[in-house]
Amino acid sequence: MQRILAIAWLTWKAALRFRLFLVIAVLLILAVVGLPLVIQDDGTAQGFTQIILTYTLSAITALLGISTLWLACGTLARDIEECQIQVVATKPIARWQIWLGKWLGIVLLNAVLLAISGSCVFGLLQWRATKLPAAEQEKLREQVLVARGSAKEKDFSTEIDAATKQILQERLKSTPVTTVDLPEVQKQIREQVKASYQVVQPAYSRAWQIDLGFAKNYLKDKPLQLRVKFNAAQKTASGTYLALWQVGVPESAKLWQTETPMSLAADTFHEFAIPPNLFDTNGVLTVLFVNPNETALLFPLEDGMEVLYPEGGFALNFARGLAIIFCWMALLAALGLAAASFLSFPVAAFFSLAMLVVILSSGTLADAVESGTVVGGNEETGVMGHSGADAVLIPMFKGILAVTRLVENFSPIDALSTGRAITWTELGLAVGQIVLLLGGLVALAGIVLFHRRELATAQGTQ
Amino acid sequence: MPVAELNPQSAIRNPQSSGEVVVSVRGLTKVFKDFWNRPKARAVDNVDFEVRRGEVFGLLGPNGSGKSTTVKLLLGLLNPTKGHIEVFGHSPRHVPTKSRIGYLPEESYLYRYLNSRETLDFFGNLFHLSKSERDSRAEQLLEMVGLGKTQTRAVGEFSKGMQRRIGLAQALINDPDLVILDEPTAGLDPIGCREVKDLIIALARRGKTVILSSHLLSDVEDVCDRVVIYYGGKIQAAGTLKELLAEPDTLRITTPVLPRETLEKVLAIIRQDISTGEVRVDNPTQNLESYFLDVVNKARAANETSGAQSGARVAEYLRGGVAAKPESEKVLEKLSLPQAAPVVVEAKPAAQSAAPKVDDQKLEALAQASQPTPPPTKPAPEAKPVDLSKADEKLSSLLRNKK
Repeated sequence: MQRILAIAWLTWKAALRFRLFLVIAVLLILAVVGLPLVIQDDGTAQGFTQIILTYTLSAITALLGISTLWLACGTLARDIEECQIQVVATKPIARWQIWLGKWLGIVLLNAVLLAISGSCVFGLLQWRATKLPAAEQEKLREQVLVARGSAKEKDFSTEIDAATKQILQERLKSTPVTTVDLPEVQKQIREQVKASYQVVQPAYSRAWQIDLGFAKNYLKDKPLQLRVKFNAAQKTASGTYLALWQVGVPESAKLWQTETPMSLAADTFHEFAIPPNLFDTNGVLTVLFVNPNETALLFPLEDGMEVLYPEGGFALNFARGLAIIFCWMALLAALGLAAASFLSFPVAAFFSLAMLVVILSSGTLADAVESGTVVGGNEETGVMGHSGADAVLIPMFKGILAVTRLVENFSPIDALSTGRAITWTELGLAVGQIVLLLGGLVALAGIVLFHRRELATAQGTQ
Repeated sequence: MPVAELNPQSAIRNPQSSGEVVVSVRGLTKVFKDFWNRPKARAVDNVDFEVRRGEVFGLLGPNGSGKSTTVKLLLGLLNPTKGHIEVFGHSPRHVPTKSRIGYLPEESYLYRYLNSRETLDFFGNLFHLSKSERDSRAEQLLEMVGLGKTQTRAVGEFSKGMQRRIGLAQALINDPDLVILDEPTAGLDPIGCREVKDLIIALARRGKTVILSSHLLSDVEDVCDRVVIYYGGKIQAAGTLKELLAEPDTLRITTPVLPRETLEKVLAIIRQDISTGEVRVDNPTQNLESYFLDVVNKARAANETSGAQSGARVAEYLRGGVAAKPESEKVLEKLSLPQAAPVVVEAKPAAQSAAPKVDDQKLEALAQASQPTPPPTKPAPEAKPVDLSKADEKLSSLLRNKK
């Protein structure tokens, strides 16, 4: 361990002597303090959160991410190019220890920088919140500066798949065809089945059974909040739609109803409080929506209906959110070092930035995988195009997505901006998936490459 | 730092030399390849040698002959294309073995942002040395290499010579059993060169093995027991310096200055067996390095320098607790003291002799040489006229004899 720590200390020394640490720290603080000064919020709790929390944390993540990649590539590749590694590698230290020492140095540097900038954000958030109007302050305390647990309806994927299969078979029986694009037909049927779970026709209602699970034990007398989002089939003149809600155990006294219809806009999230103790003895909360509009409304299965309940304090939640960002940095450090293990500095930096772009553009990859082709389709005719490259690229994209989802499943900035709890389990999963699994695989590849590399082929450039 | 007179005779210098093989190289070949894996250069070609414990082993050759590549192969920094290397019976990549090796690379590949103290502390950590041990060794090493007063300056600000000195210090932080020095005197001033050579000899006396790669013939000649001479990646010659350099049919006798009568008697005896033309009698001359050291030592006594200072004693832990003999530690002082110049009587076979004949005038001159040449008390140029006049006189007499 003494050897690994010596290498980590060396990385720190380099960062301090070359004033890298100072430059990044100043940039981070400028981002934290400067952004809210440049972009004024609209005085609402939502606008305030967007700027003080979402923008600043995103800026910190981006700045730290890029500097981490740069530093990781530089610290190893430059040691090799400038030949210092030739002296280090002749000492009784294994190559994996050199690699891990560098990684440890970078992640510790990140930890300190993240702690400094995170503390600034936290302090600024608390201080600026006192300047908001009292009502908005109240809203902020209820919806953002908390750690709320989330409960959703059960996953209907199995039922949807079963229904899709059954309908497909019935249709094939009733209308035998010789040539048919079965996957495409199946996809369309699936969308129809899914729509039946999501769409609420005019004058109809839709009920959600949401199991609060273990949380029911400590939610007695505590107000809950519903977070809803819907899309509308037709636009109204006002842009809003009426909504009637009934929450509680049906045909019992534990029932709450909207006295007057709510007026809500489509395509955005709405949060409203409901009285406490409306769930049944099993912890199931029943929510009923009645559609009094003349157009159908669609509540997406993924995020159309969610129950939020208080779970903990904001400070610890914020710390857990930063910890997940730190996990990303640890992965980026491993990625940069792995690239520098076999590439020269500029190439390694380019390579690792390209990998970062791939991770960030996973939405495009997901679209290609969903449509089954990389060339897209004709939106008017609905006919999908095909390319010879699909056979190679689509499976490759699926593989990339499987990997990137290990990272993307965590969105601490979104969670903090919406006052959702980032649980210890979630943090543990982030450490497991991002650092241990993905970071471990990247580190393994980097260490193997570094171990095999001849370190004395470079001529000194210092 | 100086502890011993330069003497290539390993049997005298290193009583601890043993038959234990420290480095074994068999059929070593290194071919550098291009991006497409096509052979680009055959840097080392089927090389065999062994280095035994306590030896000072020289890798000698012109630039690009494969010396440094061999060193890097020995250290596991390059992988051999063919052949086998063992260092202390293990592969060069064997990590625990590296704790017994010290390496000074051809350039000072050190971290420019660390100061000399931090540099030694960092490398000491890699050897798992305790804090107190690191501090103690760093202190001694910095004093030894003459950087005791520049501990807080970043290595990047050092002159090349100072960088070599700190490089040498890091190579010795672990008290290594095998020291590999790649061009150790490159960039050093004559004092530094001399100190490095003295250090190498001191290490060998303690039973340490030294591999010295150099293209400077004097470095190798002064300290090495055995050498291999590289050219084009191949070993062109190998053996002890005695084997390679000795002229077995020539004899040299060195004595203090003798009275003329004694000298004549000696020559008379020699002339009974060898003709006069084959006998050469003259004064050995001090070489420029020794003369330079005299001048600088005197100047140092009066002046401070902002750069590296001449090193002090060899670090105590490197001496292994055995104090060097006082007379050998004082080699520089000895060189600077006034003393009688020895007379060299060299007998050469007729076929090789180009030496002047011995005559009465020359004997007279040599007998008068018992009056020693005063050592320089001022910078060299002021001392020169004395020496030049003597040389001129000697040259004139030699030319007269040839007529």
